[in-house]
Amino acid sequence: MTQKKLKNIMIFSLLTLLAVMFIIPFLWILSTSLKPESAVFSFQWLPETWKFDNYLKVFEKIPFLLYMKNSIVISLITIIGTVLSSSIVAYAFGCLEWPGRNTIFIFVIATMMLPLQVIMIPLFIMFKELGWLNTIKPLTIPAFFGGGAFNIFLLRQFFKSIPKSLLDAARIDGCSEFRIYWSIVIPLAKPALATVAILTFMFTWNDFLGPLIYLSEKAQGTLALGIAQYAGQMNPEYSVLMAASVLMMLPVIIIFFLFQRYFIQAFTMSGIKE
Amino acid sequence: MTNILEYIKHPLKRKQALAGYLFISPWIIGFLVFGLYPICMSIYYSLCQYDVLRIPQFIGLRNYSDLFFNDNYFWGSIWNTLFFTVIRVPLVIIGSLLLAVLVNNAIKGVKIFRTIYFIPSIITGVILSSLWLWMLNPQYGLINSMLAYIGIDGPLWLNDPNWSKPSIIMMSLWSIGGARMLVFLAALQSVPQHLYESVELEGGNWWHKFKHITLPLISPIIFLWSILEVIVSMQVFIEAYIMTKGGPLNSTLFYNLYLYNKAFDDFEMGYASAMAWILFIITMIITVIQFKGSKRWVYYEGEGAK
Amino acid sequence: MRKHIAKILLLPLAAYLMYALFASPHTVVDDGKIHVRYWFVSGPEEVIPYRVTQFNKTHDDIFVDATPIPWNEHEKKVLTAILSGNPPDVVSLIAPVQQWASRMSLRPLDKLIEQDDFDTSYVFPALWEEVNYEGHVFAIPTHTASYAFFYNKKLFRNAGLDPENPPNTWDEVREYSKKLTRMDDGDYTQIGFIPAYGNLQVSVLLANELGAKFLSDDGKTVHLDNEQMVQSLEWILDYYSDYDFDKLISFQSGFGYADQHGFLAEKVAMMILDHTFLDGIDIYKPELDFGVSAIPSFEGYETSSSTGNWWMAIPRGAKNVKAAWEFMQFAVSYEVQVKEATLMKQRLMPANINAAKDTALTNNKKFYNVLIEQMQYAKTPSIVPLVNGTFWREFTFAQERVIRHIQPPRQSLAQGNKVIQAELIRAKEYDIYVRQNMELEEYQ
Repeated sequence: MTQKKLKNIMIFSLLTLLAVMFIIPFLWILSTSLKPESAVFSFQWLPETWKFDNYLKVFEKIPFLLYMKNSIVISLITIIGTVLSSSIVAYAFGCLEWPGRNTIFIFVIATMMLPLQVIMIPLFIMFKELGWLNTIKPLTIPAFFGGGAFNIFLLRQFFKSIPKSLLDAARIDGCSEFRIYWSIVIPLAKPALATVAILTFMFTWNDFLGPLIYLSEKAQGTLALGIAQYAGQMNPEYSVLMAASVLMMLPVIIIFFLFQRYFIQAFTMSGIKE
Repeated sequence: MTNILEYIKHPLKRKQALAGYLFISPWIIGFLVFGLYPICMSIYYSLCQYDVLRIPQFIGLRNYSDLFFNDNYFWGSIWNTLFFTVIRVPLVIIGSLLLAVLVNNAIKGVKIFRTIYFIPSIITGVILSSLWLWMLNPQYGLINSMLAYIGIDGPLWLNDPNWSKPSIIMMSLWSIGGARMLVFLAALQSVPQHLYESVELEGGNWWHKFKHITLPLISPIIFLWSILEVIVSMQVFIEAYIMTKGGPLNSTLFYNLYLYNKAFDDFEMGYASAMAWILFIITMIITVIQFKGSKRWVYYEGEGAK
Repeated sequence: MRKHIAKILLLPLAAYLMYALFASPHTVVDDGKIHVRYWFVSGPEEVIPYRVTQFNKTHDDIFVDATPIPWNEHEKKVLTAILSGNPPDVVSLIAPVQQWASRMSLRPLDKLIEQDDFDTSYVFPALWEEVNYEGHVFAIPTHTASYAFFYNKKLFRNAGLDPENPPNTWDEVREYSKKLTRMDDGDYTQIGFIPAYGNLQVSVLLANELGAKFLSDDGKTVHLDNEQMVQSLEWILDYYSDYDFDKLISFQSGFGYADQHGFLAEKVAMMILDHTFLDGIDIYKPELDFGVSAIPSFEGYETSSSTGNWWMAIPRGAKNVKAAWEFMQFAVSYEVQVKEATLMKQRLMPANINAAKDTALTNNKKFYNVLIEQMQYAKTPSIVPLVNGTFWREFTFAQERVIRHIQPPRQSLAQGNKVIQAELIRAKEYDIYVRQNMELEEYQ
């Protein structure tokens, strides 16, 4: 018993030490958000005067709630599209055999390597031809068409770890591939799908370049765009900026904290034989 | 690769193949619509002089030859980027892996710890740069203050050509608790417990468990992330763009930053497109090497064997 | 039970998302007026400028739809707007106007000026020069920032210098700086003047004072390594020899933004800054005891300065040209500029000379007289418009090499010049090609 206790104490100490290191950035942002603007980058940790009203100022400077709603809408749609389409495509690469599979997979990976900067302009022109400018379509609809090479790759790696024997057994029983995908693989891959959902959420929540060039109307702005715009002004109030970013990070932190349990579902392969 | 004829003959195999094509159709359609046109245009632009605001002028391979033979910064930026990639990728992969192993314990409060480790990875852009400019301030910043505490005279970090790249690499260390660790954690969680038990029965300790069970079973995920991290590291941009603008003395002029300068400061979209394609090829080569090497150490349980 | 609630909520949520996805973009209200779309780079407050609200009040037939755009990345936003073929009708930008003008992305205003007999002498000459490119007018300046010499009176007193007697020549700056420099325990704690600190390139300023010519008259040859530029860098190199360079860099690396700016933190006693810096002083160090004077010059030469140009223009492809032009004329009129300057929190100097002079008397805008004086000698930073980015980048590298003793001035500048010249030739070739092959309504 004591050996286990000792091990736990060691682990706990290590966790705490690391926690100190990792919390420092957030503490800095928090402390800067409470400082008066005249001393915003001063090299002390505790503000001389605690300016809680910086947080109220955020709502004056940025249409925070409107932007938050827009961010949520875009994120939700993108998450749904990404999870659905990347899982189906990944199933094809990870659990099915068909001619040309490996070649096309390499092709999919290859698309990850093209720097965004350069297809940005032709892509913009194309969206203009489609009439999608000034809508959220360029930001959301592509997610339904594969969900991004990275997510496909990620899910494919997970799917490949599922024993083939399990899938073959279902095939022999007469199940259609879609049924296998929906009823067997999806439930098994919940942690992986949750990961894809969170990664997608994080990406769309923080993305400001997309909204910048595709959404011209002020009312369409997202949170990330709003904060980037505020930061980009001639003399932003840095303390208010920090407060805004704390508010923007909170949903992501909370979602992470809650979603964690999806990774704790340890599933054992042996139980599946039933 | 099995013979295509086999797929046509056997009904079960045929069923699978058809399903395969059907299931990947979303990606194919997406690629044809959102990928093919931009890619083709981008290749065309790379053969042109083009400032976006006006029409492209075809100049053949001149962009490419200028890059290789007439550009003072091209080779330097490749070096800077490779340096950054080669050092950063192993560091963050190993860091996230070790951290994932650590937080994979059902200790009281581990959920809070995981959240704390996660937070730095979602700090973006201007905020992150302000933070690090503050932390790395050679006179008063936290890092040098702590070093002074233990008697070390800290370097000028971002202001020193020899320390600028290591500074940016160091910043990456704070991201090891992020999405990457999440994914590793998910992979660790999916390793069947009974395998560990059989090692224990045979008298193995934690190292044996790690080496013979954990690592092989999560190797597909580690492999995935190394590919991804190489691709991401080769495109490093935002930190240098905001904090150093490529300095001092071009020590942080990364390839993608130089590309951006060319595209949006100099309005040389053709030149930048050529640069992008060269980057693509370099990254491709590195990835192929990684794939070839993966046969040695990556293990897929689904495909049978041990 | 929970599952049922979740499922019930799911349907309306899905419906709402579908609606959000396929809802058509915002359409303009049809009220019989001509709607002029106006994008402007916003100041610290995202307030709709007075010129817009006042125009809308006084005009029944035109309505200006104003949208602020962020300062960072604003170029990309306007670029993509022009690319989309449906740009705003008017823009207010800060980017070097010649960068846009030289790339045919703005509508030439000559015809409109002629038609309405618009008086172009309203504005400071240096600003007007900047909005002209190859004989055509592409924008009208609305505001400017003027540079001047800022110095810390308190530190002057501490060093035994007369705070009402700032230096007039660069040699005096050098002498004063030595007196204003302090060390503690072998490290600098205060420096008089650092040439390579700040967003104004002092060495280029010096070269301009000496009469440097960077670009040939035909615009085809660039001379970064002209005699005066070489002299300027040699002077600066000599200036740095008064100090321990490594320690200086170390000291300078401790400067930051906002309240950690070298001048605001009272670590640098003298600095050339643009007058919008006064806003910064108000926010971060209102108690600062400082003075503003003319930028020093070399013995026997005139002073010089740089322009910071805020301008309005009509992008290529804009639809409501006449209405846009009417709004623009309104915005730079004397009354509007004066009223706007008094209302604006940010200290931007009106481009309208008379408005600038009168604003100086109102609202207790200190030091404006000095600043207006300096505008007379200002030169544009858009020295080589077609390759502006490359020019300034090569210049910065060349200067860095010189200061760090890696290369002497002449060679370093010559090396940079080669790169700029090669770029310029390319850009010129392309320019000729485009003008022969591109048909634009505005450019007939």
